[in-house]
Amino acid sequence: MPMLPEIVEAAREVQLPLLAVLLLLGAAAKTTRRAADTGLAVLVPERLRRTSTVGTGLLEAALAVGLLTVAGLPGEVVRTLTAVVFAVSVVVLVLVRRRDPEAGCGCFGGLSRIPVGWRALTRAGLLSAAALTTLGLEPAGWQVVASAAPPHAGVLGAQLLLLALLSPELRDVAARSLRREPCELRDVSLRHTMRVLRRSEVWRTNMPAATGSEPDDVWRQGCWRLLRYDATRHGRRMDVVYAVRVDGRRDTAVRAVLIDRGSGAVVASFGAVARTALPSPPRRLPRPRQAARQEAGRYDAARAARTLRTARAHPAGSSPGVHGLDGRDPDGRESTPAG
Amino acid sequence: MSVTDDRRDRRRFTSTVLGPRSAPEPTPLGHGVVRGVVVDASSGVLCLAVPGGEERLAYDHTTSFWRGGEVGPGGLRTGDDAVVLGAPGGRPAAERVWAQAARATGVIVDRGTDTLEIDPGHGRPRLTVVIPRRSSGRISVRHPRLEPGYVFDAVGVWSEGAVWASRPATAQPPHPLAATPHRPPAHRYASTLRGTATWYDPAWGRSPHLDPGARVDGVAYPALDPVGHDAACDRRAPCVPLPLLSVGAAVSLRNDCTREAAVLPVLDCAAADSWLCDLCPACGGRGAGRIASLTMNGFVALGGRLEDGCFDATVTVHDGEG
Repeated sequence: MPMLPEIVEAAREVQLPLLAVLLLLGAAAKTTRRAADTGLAVLVPERLRRTSTVGTGLLEAALAVGLLTVAGLPGEVVRTLTAVVFAVSVVVLVLVRRRDPEAGCGCFGGLSRIPVGWRALTRAGLLSAAALTTLGLEPAGWQVVASAAPPHAGVLGAQLLLLALLSPELRDVAARSLRREPCELRDVSLRHTMRVLRRSEVWRTNMPAATGSEPDDVWRQGCWRLLRYDATRHGRRMDVVYAVRVDGRRDTAVRAVLIDRGSGAVVASFGAVARTALPSPPRRLPRPRQAARQEAGRYDAARAARTLRTARAHPAGSSPGVHGLDGRDPDGRESTPAG
Repeated sequence: MSVTDDRRDRRRFTSTVLGPRSAPEPTPLGHGVVRGVVVDASSGVLCLAVPGGEERLAYDHTTSFWRGGEVGPGGLRTGDDAVVLGAPGGRPAAERVWAQAARATGVIVDRGTDTLEIDPGHGRPRLTVVIPRRSSGRISVRHPRLEPGYVFDAVGVWSEGAVWASRPATAQPPHPLAATPHRPPAHRYASTLRGTATWYDPAWGRSPHLDPGARVDGVAYPALDPVGHDAACDRRAPCVPLPLLSVGAAVSLRNDCTREAAVLPVLDCAAADSWLCDLCPACGGRGAGRIASLTMNGFVALGGRLEDGCFDATVTVHDGEG
């Protein structure tokens, strides 16, 4: 079981490689194009932005290399400089926040585009303190890595967890990946839409009618992307219009209509799902009285009378005799062969 | 098949596949708005050349005139591009007349001594904006950085092929367009959205008496789907979570100040309106973010005043989801 002094020593030693890795990551992220308008760059004139970002990245890379490789007096200098850089970054972030409340901290380049908040400030302060604790340590960063023991791993794990909680970048990435934008707002490529469409049964049904394999017109309506194809059916010119749901989940993903170009009439429609509740077998039969009430509610006397009148007036039903269209008496009873 | 037919068909096809609620028929706007070129403005009658003829509208002491500022009927000149709001009740009389009204919305690309070069985005021609001495104070209060890269939006008058800015139409964002902060993704969507509606001139002040496009009612929309749109629409995520649509769709739009509403077709991309996230001070300033840019005629017909540049509006888009 490690003793407290050992743990404290391990905690101090772990800071060297940890700070070096964070600085290297920060330096690498600052080389991306999107990094130019965040952090320190907000405070300097437009023409110096790129230079200041690249300069910060180079300084970070140099410090990281120093932390890993140098020990003794030069090592002390590098460690002090690292603490100073993080302390200065706290001041810079406070100034950035005051100048432009919507600017990101730029700590990890274009990844850190969320407005500077208490998390970014606390993290910079904490890293400055971490650099201070390494003053007076004997080994260089690489020696710590080479001679790592279980206490190092434990301290590293706890500190990474703390840093993860203090990192707005991770929260942003998690929020973006876990909660997807509503389908109405989502940019979706035509390729994705075509893939969903070509996998659908509605596509296979209508494919033979279409004259070309590429859509003649494509447009968007909220969650739906619509595609029109020229088509012919029985020698008549038609339009097949497919509607493909962008997220392809709710109800059905693909609908289509076949429209006669000359008359504008809808010849066929595919894939739409009825929204009214369809009658399904009940789990339990209703009580007789309740069933009778329901039946009475569904029975539309006026409509029934109208249908009956129409049927009686129909020429096919006006044959002599009392039989209606379906072989029933006018009062609805089944007729027998004997009459 | 012409482009116009194609767009009308899009609305018809959408309505067939997704239900009539998703693509309602555009409604004619109630107020009589006339746009044409001033032929004569003397003796109490305003005579305008319009496509296919001439319109005569009476004016009296209650009629107001605008030409970069409030002017009298004598302020109108022959050859001016005029937008006239007709008097209520269908009388052939003018209630308000805007002459040579122009608007420059876009990003500054170049700067001269008292001129700016503005890129309105989505492939529209660049505009030269002159900031005359008398309005430079007003403009610079709301646009402190007249430098390349910053956004500019002002209302003014056309003169010698340039827009002479007379009043700012927004407060300039404090950062260049390229440094616009990353907007967090929207997690909720509603089919009814509040924001502000602005206006644009589909004819760019050129020959409105010959161009039927100068008189259409419709909107340019800031959240156009890039697929199926030929011209470059360099939009960004607008600050109102607007559903993606294409040219040819129809949106219901209501002026929250006057409560006038209409269904209008989407005609164009309004990229510049997706760059700005501002309030409209003209009537209360309740909703932030631009939701649509109406054509000049549509804006006036829905009760907007061109010199204000905006009104609070509510837009409703259905996509057949019930």
